[in-house]
Amino acid sequence: MKHVELQNITKRYGQFQAVTDLSLVIEKGEFCALLGPSGCGKSTLLRMIAGLEEVTEGKVVISGADVTDVPPAKRRIAMVFQSYALYPHMTVGQNIGFSLSVAHASKAEIEKRTAEVATMLQLDKLLDRRPAQLSGGQRQRVAIGRALVREPEVFLFDEPLSNLDALLRVQMRLELAKLHKELKSTMIYVTHDQVEAMTLATKIVVLDNGRISQVGTPLELYHSPANKFVASFIGSPAMNFFNSKIINVSAKSMDIQLGSTRQIKLNCSGTDLKNGDDIEIGIRPEHITIAESSKRVDISGAISIVEQLGNSTVLYVDSEIGQVIVECGGDTNLEIGSAIGLNFDIKKVHAFSTGGQVLPRHSV
Amino acid sequence: MNSRNASRWIGLIYVLPALIFVCAFVLYPFGQLVYTSLTSQSLLGGGAFVGLANYQRAFNDAAFWTALGFTARYTLFITPILMGLGLLLAFLVLPNRKIQKFARGVIFLPVVIGLGTSSFLWYWLFDEQVGLFNKVLVNLHVIVHPIVWFTSADLALWAVIISVTWKVVGFGMILFVAGMQSISSEVVEASLIDGTSYLQRTTRIFLPLILRTILLVTLISAIGSMLAFEQLYIMTAGGPRGKTLTTVYWIYQNSFINFKLGYGAALSVILTGIILCGTAVQLVLTNRRAHQ
Repeated sequence: MKHVELQNITKRYGQFQAVTDLSLVIEKGEFCALLGPSGCGKSTLLRMIAGLEEVTEGKVVISGADVTDVPPAKRRIAMVFQSYALYPHMTVGQNIGFSLSVAHASKAEIEKRTAEVATMLQLDKLLDRRPAQLSGGQRQRVAIGRALVREPEVFLFDEPLSNLDALLRVQMRLELAKLHKELKSTMIYVTHDQVEAMTLATKIVVLDNGRISQVGTPLELYHSPANKFVASFIGSPAMNFFNSKIINVSAKSMDIQLGSTRQIKLNCSGTDLKNGDDIEIGIRPEHITIAESSKRVDISGAISIVEQLGNSTVLYVDSEIGQVIVECGGDTNLEIGSAIGLNFDIKKVHAFSTGGQVLPRHSV
Repeated sequence: MNSRNASRWIGLIYVLPALIFVCAFVLYPFGQLVYTSLTSQSLLGGGAFVGLANYQRAFNDAAFWTALGFTARYTLFITPILMGLGLLLAFLVLPNRKIQKFARGVIFLPVVIGLGTSSFLWYWLFDEQVGLFNKVLVNLHVIVHPIVWFTSADLALWAVIISVTWKVVGFGMILFVAGMQSISSEVVEASLIDGTSYLQRTTRIFLPLILRTILLVTLISAIGSMLAFEQLYIMTAGGPRGKTLTTVYWIYQNSFINFKLGYGAALSVILTGIILCGTAVQLVLTNRRAHQ
């Protein structure tokens, strides 16, 4: 069931176009992440859904009603801001109950609902404290509590974890996931952190320059990126990209040159491709393995950097096709400078046209 | 000498220039003022140590208490006007649109004019023969005949209040605008999402968050009003019949017209004490509210 619908949304600031003709449907109960680099228009989009930013063209529809010109308070939404945006002169309890207080709810009602939310978020012992007396994680929980108490139809989160340290971020991520599971509400979450988007969202919308680059589940985006932008944005360490040339192209496959000596066959093709065309291929670091023997080696090179992360080891290998990033087992023990042979998992290689669009794969 | 002591000495060296300045231009002159207040020193020279006689005399000086009463009345009238009008103007010119920025500049403009100059300007504007103020009021049929503003103590007080308000209201407005603009835009947006009306946003978000700026502007306005002199010297000359004589005006008359420097110094010390007490009470009260 459609819950939030953006119809041909455009946002202009003078001559600058922040969002261009964007359409998107978010289903009821979905956890939708708006993911993209700084300046891609994701926060602007969220603010337009919230009603904090005017829509230049297009419509915002929530629960079937056009809310494009409806003030924020009447959209049945709640928003959690990056800086928490707590009222510094009020206590935790007053912050949580503020929306009820301005709606002239009775004192008993405010106290009851504030206590319920505070218990749910383990803030019950902090109700009399001011925001300045709280840690970052506690402040974020108060901000979530302030959103929860309004019992909104849609929760909006604008990079809510980016001010927290790494450990607390993981903890709060789990709490948000639990909250979504419990409430089953529609949540729209803006982030530039692909790990947050991948771990929390049921649907990810990747934005680039005010346009949707791809919409899909986390694994769809990971395994089948629609273009080079999505392929490079999703995944850590990032995907390797190499320039190549088509040697022989057919309707369902093509042979490409990898380095000076090796040719590989990819099960993808494009209608307007011909022999000799330039293409770009991409492969994730975990889909490259260290060659066990010299019998079959796709590419060889010398290790320039070794990053031992415990659960995995990341190698940066200088080769004739450029730097290759390889992710291998945590117990891999290799020296900087040593020569190494690498094999590509051919089924996992993505090919991109010169315009950056992925070339469709074909089953063989 | 251990490192803690060394760092203390280094710290002292850093604050020494400021310390010398404060000693030379604040503490030493104030000390001299207190000493002079204990003498019968005249502007023409001479004078002996008289102990607390000047203070005793001030206590029995009806004119001094009348002047102090008028100054307090002037302060009590003008401070709320400056605060209220400053706040109202700040809310009106808060958005950063061109028209509001221009309005801010126009309202602030009189602040850079000297108080003496503006008092002369308003003295002529209030003139019953050629003053623009009377002409406008007559033309608008608000009054039938031109008012002689400076023959009545009450009218003279209001004429001074109008002129000083025009002159200084822009200063408070700018401080209030700065205070409001320092409030995080996300806090204001959060209150919008929480459903606040304009009035609720004003009373429950803006005003509590600029409480310290309100305190600062109140203190500046109140202290400035307690020290009022030029505007009354130029516009009313203390008249009619000394009814608009302020404390500083009375100190000036004693020190420089009647040549009684010692007595004038004693009155100055008393006024300083009163202002310090008032400021301390105001600080304690507002700080308590700010921490509530």
